[in-house]
Amino acid sequence: MTDWPSAFEAELLRLGVQPARARRLADETSLQAAETADAPGEVFGPAHLYARHLVAELSAPGAASPRTKFEPGPILLSLTGVSKRYRRQTVFTGVDLTVRGGEVAAIVGANGCGKSTLLRICAGLTRPSGGTVKRTRRVGFVPQDGGTAGWLTAEEHFTLFGAAAGMVPGRARSTGVHLATRLAWRPGRQQRAQQMSGGTRQKLNLVLGELHAPDLLLLDEPYQGFDQGTYVDFWQQVFAWRDAGRAIVVVTHLLHDLQNVDHVLDLGER
Amino acid sequence: MTTLVVAGLSTREVGRRWAALALVIALPFWFYLVRRDATGQSMRMLALGIGWAISTLTLFVVNASRGVDPRLRLTGAPVISIIGGRLLAMTGVGVALAGGYWILTWLDQDVLHLGAAALMMLVSAVVAAPLGSLIGALLPRELEGALALLSVVAVQMLADPAGLTAKLMPFWSVREIGTYAVDGGSFDMVWHGLAHAGVTWLICAGGTLALFQWRLRLARYPEP
Repeated sequence: MTDWPSAFEAELLRLGVQPARARRLADETSLQAAETADAPGEVFGPAHLYARHLVAELSAPGAASPRTKFEPGPILLSLTGVSKRYRRQTVFTGVDLTVRGGEVAAIVGANGCGKSTLLRICAGLTRPSGGTVKRTRRVGFVPQDGGTAGWLTAEEHFTLFGAAAGMVPGRARSTGVHLATRLAWRPGRQQRAQQMSGGTRQKLNLVLGELHAPDLLLLDEPYQGFDQGTYVDFWQQVFAWRDAGRAIVVVTHLLHDLQNVDHVLDLGER
Repeated sequence: MTTLVVAGLSTREVGRRWAALALVIALPFWFYLVRRDATGQSMRMLALGIGWAISTLTLFVVNASRGVDPRLRLTGAPVISIIGGRLLAMTGVGVALAGGYWILTWLDQDVLHLGAAALMMLVSAVVAAPLGSLIGALLPRELEGALALLSVVAVQMLADPAGLTAKLMPFWSVREIGTYAVDGGSFDMVWHGLAHAGVTWLICAGGTLALFQWRLRLARYPEP
């Protein structure tokens, strides 16, 4: 059985950290633990989880230097006292949220507390039972699953969604391919959506949500099936959108995402 | 343009479903083959088979698009473009199928009015597409939709063509025009058939559009 520093270093190497850097990080982590006189496992938790966390932190933009804070833009989404009820069952009540351009908001909460319903209300796909919603006209929506046509290729999806947004097919395809490369994905010409892995299909979903350059992006757990690298790429993309003045609302259940966002809306227990 | 893109991509989607497409092409053929010895029966069965095949195919295409349609709406596509494009594609597939089978009957049968026979098959395909769409809009699950279509076609086959039940069914026009094509008689039958087909098409296409306008409606929020 390997000790904590060795397991930590091995996981860093597995995640693609250069050997010298992995050794240095392992040494530094051991030293930090020694300062508290506790075992590293007690200070940092399981070695493999802490290694993943550290890699994500180091890979995020602004990790080396403090995050550049832009002046928030105009309000792009405003929820005041929003509630949703299905027959006699109340899903949530009194939800308030304001998101400006250049901000990221996270919606968190237990399973079934209405996170996805609230996002659909923000999109306009579901009507609220009460309260006021104001939002910008140009909105992109990325559902948790589905949302693609199984027999069409990625480029055909770009054409279809581009046509819906009034783009000519050639421009829609080139824009889609360009956006895909930002997620480290080159769409196969012949590969249909149903032949894609879950993570690749979610990348397609993300590109389709962004294709028409919306001011507000609504993302429902968009990283389902992403590997570690893609997950980091995803957050970098979120920061790029934010820095471009867009507003992003993301439904998540991963608590370590929350340090990256400007607002957290907790819908709580059901 | 959105309508044409939706139509083109829907046709491509259907074209890739080889197994389903083969079964759709084969279904009217079995109907035709079992009564090949009787021209009238085989022609009517063939036309009803075309209608059943195209309406079922449309039903599945409509149901398969449920996840995509709300996103297309949100991106800016009008409902009429989404529904119209799909209807255009499935009507095109139906017309192609009808054309192929018309050539078969031209070669294989001795039909009194060949032009009316072509019209019968064309009417069957054109009515079938919105019928499948309407059933798909009313019954979102494929099994229920397929069973509903089976019931409609079964009643159409078994009901007395002169009775009210048959006239209330969507493919009565096919039988009426088919009777003129095979047995001859007054040309009024063709006009009656076309009028029935027109009304059926309007009800099915209008009903589909109304249901999807409601289902794909977006909440209109004011800008902040």
